[in-house]
Amino acid sequence: MPDIYSDSWYEAVRDTINARVATLPERDVPRGSWHAVVEIVGDGASPYVDAESVRRFLVRIDDGHCAWYREIDTANPDGVDLDYRFVGPATAFDEIAAGTRDPIDAALDGTVRVRGDMRFLMRQAALVKTLLEAYTHGVQTEWPQGQPPYNGSGGDA
Amino acid sequence: MRDTYDVVIIGAGHNGLTLGSYLARAGLEVLVLERRHEEGGGLCTEEVTLPGFLHNIHANYHTFVDLAPPVTDLDVRGHGVEYVRPDVQMASIYPDGTALTIHSDLDKTQASIARFSERDADTFGRLHSEAHGYIDLLLGTLMYQPPMSVKELTKALAAFGVEDRSEFLSVKLRRETINQFLDQHFENDKVKAHLAFHGAVCAYTNDVAGLAIGYPLLIGKIDNWHLCVGGSHRLAHALWRDLAQNGGTLVTCAEVDRILVDGGRAVGVRLGDGTEIAARRAVASTVSVEQTFLEFLDSSATSEEFAHKVKTDVVHKDWTLFSVHLALSELPEYDAAEFDPDVNRAWVVNLGHDSLESLNADWATIRAGGLPEPKPNAAVNSLYDPTDAPDGCATGLLRQFAPFALADGGEGAWERAGRWYGQHCLDAWRRYAPNLSDDKVLDWAVDTPLDITRKLVNMPHGDWMMGEVSLANMLDTRPLPELGQYRTPVEGLYMAGSTQHPHGYITFGPAYNALQVMADDLGVEKWWREI
Amino acid sequence: MSADAYDAVVIGAGHNGLCLAAYLQRAGLRTCVVERRHEEGGGVNTEEPVLPGFRHNMHAQYMEFLDIMPMVRDFGLEDIGLRTVMPEAQASIAFEDGRPPVVLHRPDLLERTHASISRYSKDDADLYCEIKRRAAKLEPLLAAGLYNPPTQVNDQQALIVDTIFGDLGLGSYHAAKTCKIVIDELFESDELRALLYRACVEWGFPVDDYGTGAGFLTFVMWTMANWKLVIGGTHNLAKAMTQACYREGVDLLENTSVESVIVEDGRATGVVARGKEIRAEKLVASNADLRQTLLDLVGPQHLSDLWVKRAKDFRYGPSHVLATPMFCLYEAPHYDSARWDPDVDRCFYTMVGYEGAEDTIRYIRDAYSGRLPKPAAGTWVNSLWDPTQAPPGRHSATGWYFFPVASSLTEDEWTEVRASFNDEFLAVWRRHASNMTDANVITHRLYTPDQQERKNLMREGDFSNGEFSPDQTGANRPFPEASQYRTEVEGLYLCGPSAYPGGGVHAACGYNAFKAIANDFDLPSPIVPERGY
Repeated sequence: MPDIYSDSWYEAVRDTINARVATLPERDVPRGSWHAVVEIVGDGASPYVDAESVRRFLVRIDDGHCAWYREIDTANPDGVDLDYRFVGPATAFDEIAAGTRDPIDAALDGTVRVRGDMRFLMRQAALVKTLLEAYTHGVQTEWPQGQPPYNGSGGDA
Repeated sequence: MRDTYDVVIIGAGHNGLTLGSYLARAGLEVLVLERRHEEGGGLCTEEVTLPGFLHNIHANYHTFVDLAPPVTDLDVRGHGVEYVRPDVQMASIYPDGTALTIHSDLDKTQASIARFSERDADTFGRLHSEAHGYIDLLLGTLMYQPPMSVKELTKALAAFGVEDRSEFLSVKLRRETINQFLDQHFENDKVKAHLAFHGAVCAYTNDVAGLAIGYPLLIGKIDNWHLCVGGSHRLAHALWRDLAQNGGTLVTCAEVDRILVDGGRAVGVRLGDGTEIAARRAVASTVSVEQTFLEFLDSSATSEEFAHKVKTDVVHKDWTLFSVHLALSELPEYDAAEFDPDVNRAWVVNLGHDSLESLNADWATIRAGGLPEPKPNAAVNSLYDPTDAPDGCATGLLRQFAPFALADGGEGAWERAGRWYGQHCLDAWRRYAPNLSDDKVLDWAVDTPLDITRKLVNMPHGDWMMGEVSLANMLDTRPLPELGQYRTPVEGLYMAGSTQHPHGYITFGPAYNALQVMADDLGVEKWWREI
Repeated sequence: MSADAYDAVVIGAGHNGLCLAAYLQRAGLRTCVVERRHEEGGGVNTEEPVLPGFRHNMHAQYMEFLDIMPMVRDFGLEDIGLRTVMPEAQASIAFEDGRPPVVLHRPDLLERTHASISRYSKDDADLYCEIKRRAAKLEPLLAAGLYNPPTQVNDQQALIVDTIFGDLGLGSYHAAKTCKIVIDELFESDELRALLYRACVEWGFPVDDYGTGAGFLTFVMWTMANWKLVIGGTHNLAKAMTQACYREGVDLLENTSVESVIVEDGRATGVVARGKEIRAEKLVASNADLRQTLLDLVGPQHLSDLWVKRAKDFRYGPSHVLATPMFCLYEAPHYDSARWDPDVDRCFYTMVGYEGAEDTIRYIRDAYSGRLPKPAAGTWVNSLWDPTQAPPGRHSATGWYFFPVASSLTEDEWTEVRASFNDEFLAVWRRHASNMTDANVITHRLYTPDQQERKNLMREGDFSNGEFSPDQTGANRPFPEASQYRTEVEGLYLCGPSAYPGGGVHAACGYNAFKAIANDFDLPSPIVPERGY
């Protein structure tokens, strides 16, 4: 089982996403390329991101599929026209990955903030849910599914 | 002024100025034309009583501060705007001498509500907290992007299972009134009256079906009411300054007479004095649909059918506002301060509505062209803004819900009724604040519904929201389906004012959304699109 | 607020302050203008204080200096909103008995002026037009005089009168006379005299002061009927000036009352405004009146005894004290005198209520002596040329009563004046123009000198911020030691109408203050060679 946020973990997430997207009907998979940044803010509880530091991952989606991802060290990578940014405390992202926190709830209660063209996300509910599902339940991490190995408490609104 | 610009914008209200600033910052040559002698449209602050008393004639409440992207994108604070968020935001004083206060501090608000109902205080806390969670998401989805249809939104809400995740949001709200929402969740009449009053002040009439859908959002910003120090016009100055600093030009007292069309494309405007100004890339109108398509254009520029629709299908608000502006030598002291001392520091006070029925009855009277027994709301900006009145004095504003046309005599009847009704409103205030005797009222002036339209001709029928606020007249069907995405039947002509989604009020929404559409069409780099 | 430290802080966004700020910022100084009111422009204001859509110039009305004002050209004000119109018929006087009016036309229509005056006196018409023609040639000289720091003007003026009018039998001898004596000696027509007396008063030349004769022959005759109207109202000029400031990058803070000027080691280093310090690394310039600047903002502790005394001795009014009546009308006035000359119905500025020379003199002497004069006014209906100033099919009329200083009446008395004086004037107006019935007047309102004082801090309602008298004009303004815009506090300058040349919309106080500052700080000179100033 890969360590969360490690290369192998991301590879696993990517493979899972792409496998699931492949099962979607064509009309639910929009053509085109998108860039999203996921910003994981250290909150002192998660051991994966230092307190008061931020880890950022840039993800590229081509025709609904995850083409690549990479960890970046700036909020606004050069030469990339960002479409979305998801920002939240590390604990919340850990819990989402562990399947103990619902990502849509996290957006609704303001724990994870979403920036970008909301119309597109709303209209592509099927794809968005598939991506979230893969992220949330698709990959086993080194901790037992559903139980991050610490008492996460950060991020509640 | 010169004879050619990239973009000519009609109307220098906050939407016109905002659109102009963004485009000027993007490097376009922008001209904003204003009919009045002052920029700002509804952001007008004038000394209509005595020297030194600054009266916000129109817009007084700034509730989208730090929620609307332009506030930060255009750095309005850097341009001198000071917003104050009063710690006692609002109050209701009821005829029995009790009072409810809304504070910037949620605990205090809940404590006040709890004096009427513990259960409602809990419910309010949950609703407030839920709404706070999704306010950014909802504003980003609903207000600060070109609108989706109700159908699409409903579908998305269902797809994401929002209904199951939220106590207060639900798909069925799109058919319900705010009254129904309040009856369903709250138990105390007075609490419900205040919450419905709050909606009404935001133009969300409590008995209109469908508006319940927006109500959680209103609660999410119920304690985000700000006043603009020195009067709302300061914001207009700030926006103008941003425009000018970035090379844009504002010209006041320039009344547009025609939009010039060549080969089906808007290519400029002609002013009342015959001056023609060419627009290389676009013309944007922030004034009324009627002015734009019936006065500035012939039906040949669009179609007979479209012109007919403009005449018959554009819906205006069925009530408006009657205002009394007062120069006071002291602050009001309410009898109800015995019950809750904080009412004396409340910025905006509802005087008398103590049940949904009380509001409902007044809407019925008003829709029939009658004048209700005044239950005005009183705003005293001087409580929080020392610059808006001479030392030791206070500037007051009474607002009363009222019809535009009176059953007896139409809107013209306001000429005679204005002063009389103003006196009644003042008397109503005195019943709650008896210290405001004649000698404390140094001067007062009325601003009738007819005056609204006369001063701001882009607000026909005294319609301070420039189009009814109802679900049918929101989103992509506001003001007409053909105009719902800020484009018009005339190529190169855009609608970017409060006629558009989301609606009037100092939201910046229409301009911000029209900007996205224009930027796409004109290939303008979206410098503001910071993800 | 973009910053709390600037190179220059200008107190007051009156038009002189705006002018100075624009030049300072362009010269590379980071400049901030701090304004007490919520609007820029000071007396250059246009408002809707009576009814929606009816606009009134509550203070400055006709513009005589726009063609020579450096800022108009230097900052391209016509590109950024300034538009003007120059009505053909400019100044007139109408009479109650319906006898012919006197109508003075703009300079290019002098033959019509001649025809009008000839109804009363061919000799007056000949002489008036001749003096007017010659006065027009004075423009470059007058401009250079205005837009340069003052010298001993009186001697210069006498010399000018000798040179320009010598062959007409007018000389430095006339310069020493009063305006009234000069007018009486030159013109025989009672009607023309009445009009010119009133014109002198508006220009701040007390008709009975010796030594003002030169001013009449030069300034008054040059400016007479040489007026422009700013489309949309005078405030539009302030708007264009503000827009120029914004474009240059000036910070303008409204609703920010300056409480004091910070003086450290004898140097002005900033201001305190609304409890907050705004630092000025190079200079502070004050557009406020002299007494406020020196005694209230700087404070006697930072001044020598002489300067404190000079400030205390500085006088305000009775020259330049106006009340502004505002009328919302259905129809513009139609004068009985128009049967002789319809131009009086379409005249930029019409005097009403002065039946002859004696009447006008009595009126002026009353006002100067602190007595409320009988109802009479200079009036204008700007909507005749600029429809944006009134709703469609309506007219906006405004005027000036020349009134006693604010302190000559109590607050209650002024309240009473506001309640009744317009009606008294309307009764007079109706006798001159029979359509000015109650039915034609939708409503009206009066702004009195005490209110001008509160609104714009113009002491005594004196729009010039200091009496126009030989000891307070020219190189004596505000007093000889302060006449070059510098003060004894290093880094503190005067840039408002308490300084030379005084009140009026010429922006010369601001422009000249900039010249002084440019000199002191080694900034580029604003002088344009072909302009000469």
